[in-house]
Amino acid sequence: MLDDLRSMERVMANDDIKITAKGVDVYYGDNHAIKDVDVDIQNRAVTAFIGPSGCGKSTFLRCLNRMNDTIDICRVTGDMLLDGQDIYAKDVDPVQLRARVGMVFQKPNPFPKSIYDNVAYGPKIHGLAKNKAELDEIVEKSLRRAAIWDEVKDRLNEPGTGLSGGQQQRLCIGRAVATAPEVLLMDEPCSALDPIATAQVEELIDELRQDYTVVIVTHSMQQAARVSQKTAFFHLGNLVEYGDTEKIFTNPEDPRTESYITGRIG
Amino acid sequence: MIDAHIASAFDRDLEGIQALIMKMGGLVETAISDSSRALEARDSELAAVVRKNDKAIDALEEEVASEVARVIAMRAPTASDLRTVLSVMKISGNLERVGDYAKNMAKRTTVLSEMPPVNGTGASIRRMTKLVNVMMKDALDAYIQRDVELAEDVRARDTEVDQMYNALFREFLTHMMEDPRNITPCMHLHFIAKNIERMGDHVTSIAEQVIYLVTGEAPDDERDKADKTSYVGH
Repeated sequence: MLDDLRSMERVMANDDIKITAKGVDVYYGDNHAIKDVDVDIQNRAVTAFIGPSGCGKSTFLRCLNRMNDTIDICRVTGDMLLDGQDIYAKDVDPVQLRARVGMVFQKPNPFPKSIYDNVAYGPKIHGLAKNKAELDEIVEKSLRRAAIWDEVKDRLNEPGTGLSGGQQQRLCIGRAVATAPEVLLMDEPCSALDPIATAQVEELIDELRQDYTVVIVTHSMQQAARVSQKTAFFHLGNLVEYGDTEKIFTNPEDPRTESYITGRIG
Repeated sequence: MIDAHIASAFDRDLEGIQALIMKMGGLVETAISDSSRALEARDSELAAVVRKNDKAIDALEEEVASEVARVIAMRAPTASDLRTVLSVMKISGNLERVGDYAKNMAKRTTVLSEMPPVNGTGASIRRMTKLVNVMMKDALDAYIQRDVELAEDVRARDTEVDQMYNALFREFLTHMMEDPRNITPCMHLHFIAKNIERMGDHVTSIAEQVIYLVTGEAPDDERDKADKTSYVGH
């Protein structure tokens, strides 16, 4: 029975590719932060980026929705394709891109607005709702998706900052899914949360992969093992190993991956 | 992996459970050679010692199981650490079974020493036991050295044990047909031979665990069982 369920999960991790990176290099001034990375990120699956601090995993994640554009000295070269289209092409509007490729950060960062407005903000500026009723619907749907609706439905007008850390993070996930993105990037979404809130967010991530492509950066190896189908190990700006999470955690090919995931000095 | 863990207590945990395996292995090797000597010398006292010592092997298996549970719970081992823990678990099970077979051999020795000896079978059983014991020693060495080549060699040698068993099977049949009074001792001896053959299978399984531990993949090629003697009806 368990075997059947697990193999179904594996089947669902299909070969459909959402994002393709080819020969991607990232420089911060003279610092070569990402070195010639090739990676294919699967559609409707969770991909985890792991690696020691400073290995480039967050930098690479931020390339996927051009968050690095905001850093003046940052330069990205190589091809980064979303559904086969270069996201660094001149005619791509980064704001539109980020509506398609949403992001959730390490620290929950709700706007200093009501719970309702936190979620409604994105759909409003992108003109996704024609009227108040439609907007209400998007807000409810997003908060339900983020598994927080039941906890906040009676206090939608209270400030989002008044929620607990775990609730705030789920609110931020709700805010991210409100613009109906195709890809959700998460940069250590649970590092500021307690184990219960972490489990809730992980459960949510597992549900989200039915509809979204999720890419998560995490320092918790166990979290990567629990939530992802694919794992990429970064080390000193190189993508050392990329493959099925199961394989990475039971029998990795590269000794550097082995050293890192088993907690050895590598 | 030669590198040490950042958490040195993890290294001590893993070394600890592997030390238990080696301790178990030592006791099992002694049990095999003692039970074999007892059988040959018709020594009921030595047989009694083997039976008594089996409790220590069983206790070690329990200790391995609880240590493994603790390491999994506390350390969440991955990759080669995970394989180490899993292989320890299986190997301790194999060793415990081999210990049981040695104990059973000792029990039958006590019964057999009350009966007239059956000519010509002692040497064959001794050779077979010796072969299995050397395989056991090599399998445990392969485990400690993480030596895949030696483990493969041990696996290959099991065929020899199977052949010796098949030869003994035919020999027992002959003795029983010659003289019905041989039937009771020959049945006991046959069970002993069968048990030694089973010991060989457990040793092979240990060797396979070594291969899994080192390479991450279990050997999958079926070993050839050419001789079907023991399945032929008469």
